[in-house]
Amino acid sequence: MIVIKDELNSLPIKTYRWLNVNHLKLDERIEKDRKPFCKRFFEEMDDDNISIGSINNIVTINQHLSRINNEKQEYGVSGKMVDMAENFNNAGVYAYIKKGADIEKPIRIEYGMDRENDVVIDNNIIVASENSRATIVVDYCTLDDIDAFHNGAMKIYAKPGAAVTVIKIQRMNDNSNHFDSNIAVVEDGAEVNFIQVEFGSKRAVTNYISNLKDGGKSAIYSIYIGNRDRELDLSYYMNHIGRRSISNIEVKGALKDRAKKVFKGTIDFKLGSSKSEGREGESVIIFDKTVKSKAVPLLLCTEDDVKGEHAASSGKIDEDKLFYIMSRGFSKEEAMKLIVEASFNPVIDRIPLEDLRDIVRDELARKLIVEERI
Amino acid sequence: MIRSMVMENKFLLIRDLHVKVGDKEILRGLNLDINRGEVHVIMGPNGAGKSTLANVLMGNPKYEITKGEIVYEGKVLNDMKVDERAKLGIFMSFQYPEEIPGITVENFLRSAKMAIEDKPIKVMEFKKVLKEKMKLLEMKEEYAQRYLNEGFSGGEKKKSEILQLLILNPKLAILDETDSGLDVDAVKIVAKGVKEHKSEENSIIIITHHNNLLEYLNPDYVHFLVDGRIVKSGDISLIDIVEKEGFESFKN
Amino acid sequence: MDVDISRKTYVEDIDRGIYDIRNEFKYSYKVEKGLTEKIVREISEKKNEPEWMTEFRLKSLEIYNKLDVPVWGPNIDELDIENIVTYVKPRTDMKYSWEDVPEDIKETFTRLGIPEAEHKSLAGVGAQYDSEVVYHNLKDYLAMKGVIYTDMETAVREYEDIIKKHFMTVVPPSDHKFAALHGAVWSGGSFVYIPEGVHVDIPLQSYFRLNAPGAGQFEHTLIIVEKGAFLHFIEGCSAPKYSVNNLHAGCVELIVKEGARLRYSTIENWSKNMYNLNTKRAVVEKDGTIEWVSGSFGSKVSMLYPMSILKGERARAEFTGITFAGNGQHLDTGAKVVHTAPYTTSSINTKSISKDGGVAVYRGALVITENAHHSKSTVSCESLMLDNKSRSDTIPVMDIRNDEVDIGHEAKIGRISDEAIFYLMSRGISEEEAKAMIVRGFVEPIAKELPLEYAVEMNNLIKLELEGTIG
Repeated sequence: MIVIKDELNSLPIKTYRWLNVNHLKLDERIEKDRKPFCKRFFEEMDDDNISIGSINNIVTINQHLSRINNEKQEYGVSGKMVDMAENFNNAGVYAYIKKGADIEKPIRIEYGMDRENDVVIDNNIIVASENSRATIVVDYCTLDDIDAFHNGAMKIYAKPGAAVTVIKIQRMNDNSNHFDSNIAVVEDGAEVNFIQVEFGSKRAVTNYISNLKDGGKSAIYSIYIGNRDRELDLSYYMNHIGRRSISNIEVKGALKDRAKKVFKGTIDFKLGSSKSEGREGESVIIFDKTVKSKAVPLLLCTEDDVKGEHAASSGKIDEDKLFYIMSRGFSKEEAMKLIVEASFNPVIDRIPLEDLRDIVRDELARKLIVEERI
Repeated sequence: MIRSMVMENKFLLIRDLHVKVGDKEILRGLNLDINRGEVHVIMGPNGAGKSTLANVLMGNPKYEITKGEIVYEGKVLNDMKVDERAKLGIFMSFQYPEEIPGITVENFLRSAKMAIEDKPIKVMEFKKVLKEKMKLLEMKEEYAQRYLNEGFSGGEKKKSEILQLLILNPKLAILDETDSGLDVDAVKIVAKGVKEHKSEENSIIIITHHNNLLEYLNPDYVHFLVDGRIVKSGDISLIDIVEKEGFESFKN
Repeated sequence: MDVDISRKTYVEDIDRGIYDIRNEFKYSYKVEKGLTEKIVREISEKKNEPEWMTEFRLKSLEIYNKLDVPVWGPNIDELDIENIVTYVKPRTDMKYSWEDVPEDIKETFTRLGIPEAEHKSLAGVGAQYDSEVVYHNLKDYLAMKGVIYTDMETAVREYEDIIKKHFMTVVPPSDHKFAALHGAVWSGGSFVYIPEGVHVDIPLQSYFRLNAPGAGQFEHTLIIVEKGAFLHFIEGCSAPKYSVNNLHAGCVELIVKEGARLRYSTIENWSKNMYNLNTKRAVVEKDGTIEWVSGSFGSKVSMLYPMSILKGERARAEFTGITFAGNGQHLDTGAKVVHTAPYTTSSINTKSISKDGGVAVYRGALVITENAHHSKSTVSCESLMLDNKSRSDTIPVMDIRNDEVDIGHEAKIGRISDEAIFYLMSRGISEEEAKAMIVRGFVEPIAKELPLEYAVEMNNLIKLELEGTIG
């Protein structure tokens, strides 16, 4: 039995209680037990510049981890959920990229949940040494008609000058629960970019933090679809610590039926983060009057020599566009899908693998056309 | 001793000027002499240091003089603050004028004029002069009440710069790419404004890489600025060389 | 290595129950020391109030004792909540005179050019400013139009029916702890009633009402603008009001009927020891308009978020606000709009400046309910930081529950650009003046919304605030 009685994705600064956005309060018992995940979930890499292994191979990890300063910091959807992922996991990948190495081939991690393996509690650690480059793709999906459970954590250490791109695709079925915590330590002149595709599960609660040191750069490009009775709670936090750090949060979504979504995006300019720039934007296309869409874009600032901006917009799908596309012979659903896809494409195009781009586009079509006809 | 006497007679003297922006040295020993009432044209390839020269004359704190001197009416400008230079009669027409929301063109110009002349100016009196100059530049009257440069088109911004030139009536005007991005009609109007300003007392430095503006103004000297130095000076006929050959032959 | 996950992953909730009980316990224990029924009855008796109002006060007291202080927003720990009675009932032996008024306050009066006759009144030390002459002329004009403009105490007696029907219906005492406190101990304030179709051409200023005893601490303002009528009401003034009772928990209720328009302007400049926990709210009916203009300059802590409830079709709300937080100030301000009807529109436009360790926060809420199809809203917040000792936060929440909406929101934070300063200085303007000019330009859209004399005062205020910080 997994019991979650907790406050998740807490806002860094609380606000009015009546709006119910300070945290997501859950009190749930999920009829699942932790059990081993007996499937291969990552590909070995034939490259001397990278060591990759299962997280349970403690020896290699300790050997490498001693080289990174492991600053303790609270992160993730909640302290308890991260604790579960870090200390009671049944899966996870540890990857270490050597200094200056340019790993062109993306590191692929796939958690395909099926009847026998319907619980994934994963702890992933990525260490990108000085001036190295790497791309990591993680895919969470359900293969059978099951109610799966996922709770994961990912820590990324980007050493000075390193560049890491992490692509996370979540397309679990509508009976599943998905919790995901991410933290990136972006050291001097390093860059960590996240691409998040949040298309599935009954409940998706995700949390991303980037700690930016001098000249550090981080971007989060996120696309989500909420349909039927699904719930999304998405939290992003750009923590500008060093000078000349740059952040960008760009979130695009589509909400249908009775879906609920809360977007929390924070840009925090700490004292000393002079000459830093941060921007965030969320735009939502709303399909039905039964959806609930909340957005809390925070700008926190204790340093004067910075530039911060946020913008948010939401509204109905553009009727003129819809009419134009339909006049060319597309059904309404197809036209809507096209418009959403057009809005999502700049993010989808950032996915470096063609097969995954196709998967994402198919999934989008499935959510907006196929499921519509069932 | 003799040197300083010579310098006092000159209007503007630039000697062995070295200027850095950040870590990068842009001007590397620039020399230039300008007398009262002269019009000088500075031409040169992108990145040669033309805008740097304008900014350093105006005293932009981002530009650091590492060596050399700028002497204006016998005074060394090197460490002088921007507003003090303006009060001495130096003016720069910006390539990209800043937008200042909330301050109307009229209020701004009257404040500036009062600061420079250090005496109060009556509102009505000022309105009259402003109206006159705006008419000359074919600017609609309503621009006086608009916020300074906010939402102005490229052409309007340049006109606004020339309007300021006419109102503040400086002794040394530096026009940094004032003609770039303008259509033929706008160039004509800007030229009309600059002509209006030109006099035996007023000197003008025109920085450009077109000769649009020059067709209307009769420059006395033309200088080529390449790699941070003046590599060639002469009269208007130099422009033909550039038209034909470009600056390639002057690069080392 | 099989871990008993059922035990390990049981995430304990913070036990709110214990917390609540502890509070309750405290209150029952503190009731003797705290705000008692006796005190509340006393207040009511003194005002010779009808029975229902006494009951209302007691009911509010009950609610007050049940609610906890907000868990969000600025720190108000220094407020002695346990001894709230000291804020409500000033010690009678606390006679203070002009000599006790801090020097900086006195100086500010002089520098703002406020007539000497008003100084003592503003400082709250008696010797009331005689505004009767001006007020009498105004009274005749208003009477002619059938407008009611009186203090709340008189209103409760003379316009009992209207007050009984509307008093604290827009802001119920259960809204939050300080609203409940207000309900229990309110005193002073204005009642304005504009009859159908009446257009009041001159702004009414609560300034004339400063003299009412107790005004400026728990004052209650109720304004009803009937069908098609118009009013501009101005609350407060730019002079710092000084009071040793440093809690202000006022309440403003505005009712804007069909097709009516109400403009409500405030320039608030409390002395810097004040906790300004003020609640303002407007309900706007069909085709009505509420326009808020709000300037926050004073107080130690402010929590002020005027709310507009757009209840009728095509109702409109406009909010224009400026907040200037200096040394030792935490000004948490913003606006809330709830769209509950179709075709309603709102626009929020705020600017904040923080300097010298001041904290300026924009906190907002925008709610579009299921019924509010074809609603439109735009929000724009800009913050200017004058140094890196200060803090500036933007905390907006948008809650959208409809598809037929058009919502835009943008916020910006930054400082005065070096390029802009260089540009202005190149025209002969000194660095200090260049910065002041840019700040003035920054607040210009708000200044524009104020009556001229207030705009001038606001500019003086900004100039005063900027002195010494620049250069």
